[in-house]
Amino acid sequence: MLTRLIESGNKKVADMAIKTRFRTYRFRSDRNFFRAASFYEKTLLGVTAKKPAKTTMQMEVYDCMKTTDLIKAVLIWDTKNNQKITSLAGKNVIKGGKASWDFYWDLFGRNSIDNNGLLIKQYVHFDKGMDNAYWDGRRMVYGDGDGVVFASFTSDIDVIGHELTHGVTENEANLDYENQSGALNESFSDIFGIMIKQKYNNQDVKKSNWLIGEKVLIGIKYALRSLKAPGTAYRNHPELGDDPQPATMENYQEMPNTESGDWGGVHINSGIPNFAFYVSAYNIGGYAWEKTGRIWYAVLTDSNLAHDAKFVDVKNLSILHAEKLFGINSLEAKAVKQGWLEAKV
Amino acid sequence: MKIKLIRTGGFIPLTKMAEAEVNFSENELVRLIEIIKPDPAAQRVKDGSYYQLTFGSGSAPVDLEKVPEEYKELFSKLKNDMRIVK
Repeated sequence: MLTRLIESGNKKVADMAIKTRFRTYRFRSDRNFFRAASFYEKTLLGVTAKKPAKTTMQMEVYDCMKTTDLIKAVLIWDTKNNQKITSLAGKNVIKGGKASWDFYWDLFGRNSIDNNGLLIKQYVHFDKGMDNAYWDGRRMVYGDGDGVVFASFTSDIDVIGHELTHGVTENEANLDYENQSGALNESFSDIFGIMIKQKYNNQDVKKSNWLIGEKVLIGIKYALRSLKAPGTAYRNHPELGDDPQPATMENYQEMPNTESGDWGGVHINSGIPNFAFYVSAYNIGGYAWEKTGRIWYAVLTDSNLAHDAKFVDVKNLSILHAEKLFGINSLEAKAVKQGWLEAKV
Repeated sequence: MKIKLIRTGGFIPLTKMAEAEVNFSENELVRLIEIIKPDPAAQRVKDGSYYQLTFGSGSAPVDLEKVPEEYKELFSKLKNDMRIVK
């Protein structure tokens, strides 16, 4: 119909018809764009007036009393009652959980792990001397460490932020926990974990040491991971030997997709996207969460990030979001490209 | 018979191991492995640890929460004795 009017030979009618078609295309295009845009992107464009109404964090902390029975764990603290507690691990996870919740809310308007106010459940003193922390799909669980090699896994705020971010990832791209997608899952947890610590301590990219778990792994020379220099968090450790993380794609470790193969090296190869983030953040400068963190959050919440994404997919999306947020030839977009270039992805 | 309990995985992937001498019959071992095998549909726990029991030339995954009462002392001792494999 519009085509016939445009070709009618009547200049006035044709003019009206082409303008109608133009508006229709723009409307459809805008609608597609906004359907795919994140809350944060909409906020930047001013189409979402403000963050959702202020809400409050909901958290419960349980003491496993050095057993592995989570059902019998005792509630020692919750946001409603704000009980006084003596457990240092309990105090640590309250502090870390609050810092993590605040980070996601203040910067991205994200209301908890699922962006729908999920009650954060944290379990401390799990098992006897357990040297681990994990996210089981519903809650965060922390061991006390053996006291020789490992201290309590609640000792570092970045480890708490790491575990909480596993929940965020599960509610977003839900990256498969194997091979490259699993390494990206780990990397997002490390990246947001370190930014949660940096923001809590008000550290910019130069002041931060970019170490994850520096108190958890006992010894002043040691940490669990380094984003700045993957493969150097511990060296010649009497029990652990050397940090096995690569920083660049040429040293990617092909490992079996089994329990003993770390599901294809998810905690090993995460060093590569971690390093890309570090280089990007360092070159952008300032506080990592202000710009680089916004880019990576836009990637994490992008519906185009597939559950089986590879490093190159996150590379492409992070460049795309840097360009969308800061401009095609912006310093930020160039820094992100450089980050992935140095990681050789 | 020598059995080994091996733990892998975790926030930084570690391998820990302990061993014990036991006098299980073949039937007893088969029954035990059947009882303690993990749920195959269980979701992969992020940063989770996993246990494996090795015996002779075989091995089987273990869910320690499923260990029957009469074997709890043995598995508890194995777990406490675990050392990092360097």
